[in-house]
Amino acid sequence: MTAIRHTLQKDVFLPHDERLLGVVHVSKAGKKKKVSFLCAAASTEKPVQVSIVNVKKSDKGDTYKRRQTWELRELKLVDGRDDTKESPEFDLHFEKSYKWVASNVAEKSAFISCLWKLCQRYLIKKRPDFVNVNPQLLEEAVQVGELTRTLPQGGEDVVDEEYQVLTAQEEADLEKLISQCDFAVSNAEAFTEQLSKDLSMLDGANIHSIMASEEQVKNLMKLLEVSETEINRIEKRLERYEGLLEGVREQMEQMKGKDTLIQMQNTNYKKLLSTLDTLVGQLDLSPGHVKALQEGDLSNPSHILDCTSAAEALQQAMGVQLHPGLCKMQAVREQQKMFEKLRSSFARRLAAHLNSVFVQQGHEMSETLSHHALEPTLPKHYSAHRDLMPYAELMLWLKGADITSFHQLAQVYTSNLKRLYEREIKDFFEAAKAILGTKPSAVDSKKFGKLMGSTESLGKSSGSKMRSSSLLDIADHKGSNPDITDRAKFERVLNSIMSELEPVCMVEQDFIIKFFHLSSDSTATDVGSDEEDQIEEGVVDANGGMFSKGHTERQTEKQVSSEVRRMMSDLFGTMEPELHNFINFADKMDPYNSMYMLVKISAVVMGMEEKDAGSYLATTLATSVVIVKRNFDKLIQAKIQSIEEIKVPKNKRCGILPFVSSFEEFAELAETIFKGSERRADLDKAYGRMVRTIFDNVERVGLEHQKTPQDVVLFENYHHLNAVFARLKITCLETEKKEARHKYKQHLDAYVINWLGHPMEKLNHFFEGIEARVAQGVKAEEVGYQLAFSKQELRKVIKEYPMKEVKKGLDSLYKKVEKHLCEEENLNQVVWRSMQEEFISQYKHFEDLIKRCYPESGITLEFTITDILQFFSDIAQSH
Amino acid sequence: MASKPKPPQMALHKVIMVGSGGVGKSALTLQFMYDEFVEDYEPTKADSYRKKVVLDGEEVQIDILDTAGQEDYAAIRDNYFRSGEGFLCVFSITEQESFAATADFREQILRVKNDENIPFLLVGNKCDLFDKRQVTIETATAKAGEWNVPYVETSAKTRQNVDKVFFDLMCEIRDRKKEETAKPDGKKNKKTKKEGKRKKKCVIL
Repeated sequence: MTAIRHTLQKDVFLPHDERLLGVVHVSKAGKKKKVSFLCAAASTEKPVQVSIVNVKKSDKGDTYKRRQTWELRELKLVDGRDDTKESPEFDLHFEKSYKWVASNVAEKSAFISCLWKLCQRYLIKKRPDFVNVNPQLLEEAVQVGELTRTLPQGGEDVVDEEYQVLTAQEEADLEKLISQCDFAVSNAEAFTEQLSKDLSMLDGANIHSIMASEEQVKNLMKLLEVSETEINRIEKRLERYEGLLEGVREQMEQMKGKDTLIQMQNTNYKKLLSTLDTLVGQLDLSPGHVKALQEGDLSNPSHILDCTSAAEALQQAMGVQLHPGLCKMQAVREQQKMFEKLRSSFARRLAAHLNSVFVQQGHEMSETLSHHALEPTLPKHYSAHRDLMPYAELMLWLKGADITSFHQLAQVYTSNLKRLYEREIKDFFEAAKAILGTKPSAVDSKKFGKLMGSTESLGKSSGSKMRSSSLLDIADHKGSNPDITDRAKFERVLNSIMSELEPVCMVEQDFIIKFFHLSSDSTATDVGSDEEDQIEEGVVDANGGMFSKGHTERQTEKQVSSEVRRMMSDLFGTMEPELHNFINFADKMDPYNSMYMLVKISAVVMGMEEKDAGSYLATTLATSVVIVKRNFDKLIQAKIQSIEEIKVPKNKRCGILPFVSSFEEFAELAETIFKGSERRADLDKAYGRMVRTIFDNVERVGLEHQKTPQDVVLFENYHHLNAVFARLKITCLETEKKEARHKYKQHLDAYVINWLGHPMEKLNHFFEGIEARVAQGVKAEEVGYQLAFSKQELRKVIKEYPMKEVKKGLDSLYKKVEKHLCEEENLNQVVWRSMQEEFISQYKHFEDLIKRCYPESGITLEFTITDILQFFSDIAQSH
Repeated sequence: MASKPKPPQMALHKVIMVGSGGVGKSALTLQFMYDEFVEDYEPTKADSYRKKVVLDGEEVQIDILDTAGQEDYAAIRDNYFRSGEGFLCVFSITEQESFAATADFREQILRVKNDENIPFLLVGNKCDLFDKRQVTIETATAKAGEWNVPYVETSAKTRQNVDKVFFDLMCEIRDRKKEETAKPDGKKNKKTKKEGKRKKKCVIL
């Protein structure tokens, strides 16, 4: 109901500036269905207008519509119809009577009382009658009305109230009073007298009773006095109690203060104790450690361990972070001074010891150095490293304790080992060179010796150009078996060089990283027993593959610091020049070696890239690759130059040009070397340049050659190149292969056409002339009427080529072809077959022209196709 | 591997491919030479190939003359038949006509070479296309037996027996050459030579 009320107020009355005061849910009597609301509303503006509105809820949706409005003053009668029993029905009489049935009695009663209220309030003159309404309801409504009057927003509610109705009580009393005197109405005077008499009687009685009560008042006063004194007493006692309590509180407070003081003291003692405890614990160095530091034998492994732990303890004790105040303590200062002394003395001792160890190692190792004859080997330093590794932690300690002597030690190590490595690497490369320089067997030693001699003299006398080209020629054209074995040997030596260099370099690098603790993300904390395990592993793997050794240890040190590189380049200072020296030596020995080196060293560098980018070996090898690449480019350039400079043989038939077969050899070798290499692109580029040069120079030689026709030079060489490309399946040369094939066919055809003209030269010219005429527009039948091409002329020409002549011509052509072509490419049969075919088709062409241009002349050539075929068979049989 | 050929030292065997057009002479040759199978058909006129192979441990060269199957005039073939030392006479097992043509080829070869025992192999190619077979193995084998030559079925596509036919033929050629050097007047005796002498088996490497 409140919801509806709210909605009605909002939707229906607020727009009209009215306020809803009462609402009842009703239906018209008789018509049950039609439900509507009867509302009582007052305008919000003055003078207040009260109206009763019938609001209906529209059939669709929740909107409400005013149906009928009456002013309150129009209301004449309200009939509650329930004086006897309660009923929800009631009637409102305006200009006519409206009968309503409320949804329940309570609502009806509320509404009627609301109406009553409104009537009481706003209608002064002519109020409607309320009949058959429970009078209680109306009374209640008045009371309730008084109370709720303030509910509607205040202010205006102080309404004029000059008239007051007699209440029912007063009325009844009055009536009762009057009824006691029967004459009251008839004789007012007597009544008045009676009344005044009664009044004076009552006055008298009143005064009496007042007087009687004086005594009692006195008593009362007395009692009051007594109670006052009593109260005063009690108050005093209470005050005393309070004073007592105050005292107790003060005492309690004092006690509390004392207690906290005691507690504070206690905790302070505890703190002091623990501080002292930790201080002593941190600064205490066990006598065993002190002893180890002072006199531990640094060459005894177990003593080294003791020393290590002692040094660690010392380091720890010294590194303890103390409160500045604590440092002022005498004891602390003394202890620290003692540590200082221990440290410096131990550092000195350690440095001196290691110094002598390094020097000793440098000497010892060089003494044990030996030369190996078969394979060049680099001595391994595993044992030295293993000897030194136990000191690794001490070195770390030293780095922290005495950085200058640490650096000095590093320097001593570098300078000693540097000399050792220098010698070793030098010997190593010398050995490698020596192996390359010696012959495995005595076979062909003379030739080889010559080759070696020339290379050696080249190596010494900075190599004149003349010499180098002659050397190239040897490598290019001699093509002897020793080349193969030499190359295999070189590959083997190169492989072993690479596989020797890498472990030595990597092991040394790992060692100095660990020993001198150079890497930034130092793994020094857990350097311990596993360190040695890894070294052992290295020993086992070193003779195996190049990449197999210790992946795990290297992954931990991703970035090799510049410090490491610097130290490595100090240690291996000679490696780079020696390596470059070797590369150039190998290149001079046989330029093809550069190909092996390019592939091999690149592969090594690539292989390392992931794990050891920036390692000393990687950078050194990378620069080597650059040099090798340069040598390789030089090789290609030299090849190209030798192709360009080749002299055309004057008096022999041309055949396959030497540079074509040399390229075949080169490509074959290169394919095996570069198989699967990352360097393939370089080779492909070189191929491209070389093949282009070869093509150009084949054409050049074709033009320049005097003995062999140009076409023959071209198609033979192109045929050969095509076969080479097809055989080696070099993918990057696919277009060149097609080009070679195309040119081969083109020049083959050109050759055939060109040389077929020879056996019947005049006949050929004659018919060419006829064709030219026909092409110019002369009708075929009319050619014969031209003087130069008359039948007589034709007969004359034909006469010149009798069977015998033709056969002779073909014979000599065959011989010529044999002479032109080389044995090697074996194209005789191909060319001759083509010539036979072409000759027959030429014959047919002549016949056809005769038939067309000299119809019914009965002229034919002096020989038939059968004759020609017979010639061919005869030629075949005669060879 | 890098050494140049030395013609006087290395033996050279000249093989001729003969047979009707489209039976796969070039396909067999290319497969043997370059290990490739060319699907597109382009009629050959004539082409020559050379390859180094190892025959029973000895390095030799093989010259292959791949010839035209379609030739207007048979006489044109005389010359290159003449140059051949051994013949692979190829037909397609899927084409009866190509099989029939082998007889003509053989006849011409024998005429031109004037030699009954010239190294010669009858080759039935395209044996991978067995569902299209028109020439039975029995027929072909019978024909080969009649000529007293071996019969081999090959597939240039699957490479089946490709090496075998070339190597078998080379063995025969080599053996023939040995016999001839053994008796310098071998040429005269060619026709009278006993067939049994050619039964020597070859080993393919």
